[in-house]
Amino acid sequence: MAFDLFDPITWPTRRDEEWKYSDLARHLRITPRELEVSTDIAAPKLVLDGFHIHNVFGADYSGLEAAVKAANGKLWLRHWARGRLDGVAGFQNTGRVDLAAGEHLILFETYEGKGNYAVHSELEFTLAEGARLERVVVMDEPETATSVRQSTIDTAPNAHYVQTVISTGSAFQRFESHVTHAGHGAQVRMDGAYLLKNKTHFDYTTRLDHQHINGVTTQAIKGLVKDQAQVVFQGRILVQKGADGTDARMRHQALILNDGARVRAKPELEIYADDVQCAHGNTIGNLDENALFFCMSRGMDEATARGLLMQAFIVPVIEAIDDDQLRAAVLEFVEAKAGGFYGV
Amino acid sequence: MLNIQNLTVSVDDKTILKGLTLDVPAGEVHAIMGPNGAGKSTLGYTLAGRSNYEVTAGSAALNGEDLLEKDVHERAAAGLYLSFQYPLEIPGVPALTFIRTALNAQRKLRGEDEMSAPEFLKTTREVAKSLKIDMDMLKRPLNVGFSGGEKKRMEVLQMALLKPKFLILDETDSGLDIDALKVVSEGVNALRAPDRGMLVITHYQRLLDHITPDRIHILVDGRIAHSGGPELAHELEARGYDEYLGEAA
Repeated sequence: MAFDLFDPITWPTRRDEEWKYSDLARHLRITPRELEVSTDIAAPKLVLDGFHIHNVFGADYSGLEAAVKAANGKLWLRHWARGRLDGVAGFQNTGRVDLAAGEHLILFETYEGKGNYAVHSELEFTLAEGARLERVVVMDEPETATSVRQSTIDTAPNAHYVQTVISTGSAFQRFESHVTHAGHGAQVRMDGAYLLKNKTHFDYTTRLDHQHINGVTTQAIKGLVKDQAQVVFQGRILVQKGADGTDARMRHQALILNDGARVRAKPELEIYADDVQCAHGNTIGNLDENALFFCMSRGMDEATARGLLMQAFIVPVIEAIDDDQLRAAVLEFVEAKAGGFYGV
Repeated sequence: MLNIQNLTVSVDDKTILKGLTLDVPAGEVHAIMGPNGAGKSTLGYTLAGRSNYEVTAGSAALNGEDLLEKDVHERAAAGLYLSFQYPLEIPGVPALTFIRTALNAQRKLRGEDEMSAPEFLKTTREVAKSLKIDMDMLKRPLNVGFSGGEKKRMEVLQMALLKPKFLILDETDSGLDIDALKVVSEGVNALRAPDRGMLVITHYQRLLDHITPDRIHILVDGRIAHSGGPELAHELEARGYDEYLGEAA
């Protein structure tokens, strides 16, 4: 593991380049206490046909392997953590998912909790040749939570890896993916959408390592930030020497809805191969005044028009989710959350 | 119906409209023609309430209601509709959602009941058919990837569904081929009614062959330089704006 949640000496600080804008040590201050995991999780409100549900309490991934087997291609990992009044409850562990050649898995990951807790989890995925993994991640954690979710993804030729991360932030939240891109027809898509308000912090860090020829990567991340919320997007695409024919595109677009909110974006392309197509685009701005006027001239009041446009801004990321049920569920989630953004 | 008195408007401290006076009675269609930069689009934007168009003098009223004191959406609810020269693309919002949201927002402001989804769909289906708009197109994000003709047809569809009292068509003919112009014009003509007025802003006489106006006004340098009957369009096409440019200066 990159650091140990229970050992302050190992906590990353702003002096670590990777954590410059998400200073965990400064945020945590007090060492979390390792507690027994509370398992008082409510029944899911959402009904997803054909999904096998596996609860993850804290970061306890025991039984994950069996759950993947039992899932028959559709697994819902319900992460749940619960803090305590007498200090920060800490949870830390790792899990592992191996997909055999040609195996397909749709993984719906929800992250929820209650109270003051700190979780550090790490998931390791390996995708054998032609395997396909689609992760749809919904981070719906309380504003009191500290949540660092790291994963490594090792791909093989013709493998397909997709992740769509939806976040509403927390006191300190980071979702980090390290992908080793095997090229040779392998495809990677890492999208994201965030809606942050109040004093929340969300860090979306993606690291992509193109090691071989003909790898394809696309990234589309869109988000809305208001109040004193802070977002960090760090996206690095590394194209190694010899990884010719790589096609990598990264796009990050943020709307800052008021002065106090902040977005720090650090897209990086590091290219050592000659014959590659790489592009990154990054825009941070406000709502389009022309579009706002257009909507209002048709009769929408300003709040309605803003709400519509904000939702419209985010929705394309959600619409790219392949699974029909998950797309609908995430759309519903985002619509409910976007409601809180209308009153700007 | 629409009464504009001595309207003076600045954009970024530059005076564009310089005391424009215009009356369009109910049931009539008036056209505004004029050279580039005369203030044609400014008139439309000002009436619709665009924020950086500052009215420094004059008045504008629709059916006796002062338009200028109202917010943009309140003008729409009062019955004003500005059809954009370049309708905006709204990614992520299906056309149906956009129109229904606008319609119900107007109704709410007027204290009317919202239109139910089935009723809205039924009405929309009928209007779309007459405009040769496929219902599948209405499920797509508004105007995104639509051709010029499709965008203008969407504008006419919105007019027909929102049922405004007064229409301002800003360069509705731009970007239209002959067939699209015909469909759009027929759609607009179908909306002519004794209790509805229209102001057609255009560069060319071409559109006025399809939508015959009752009056034509020539706008030069922020004022109406000349007014006349529908025959004026053809005279202008033959002789240009030169003689009026002299008059205004």
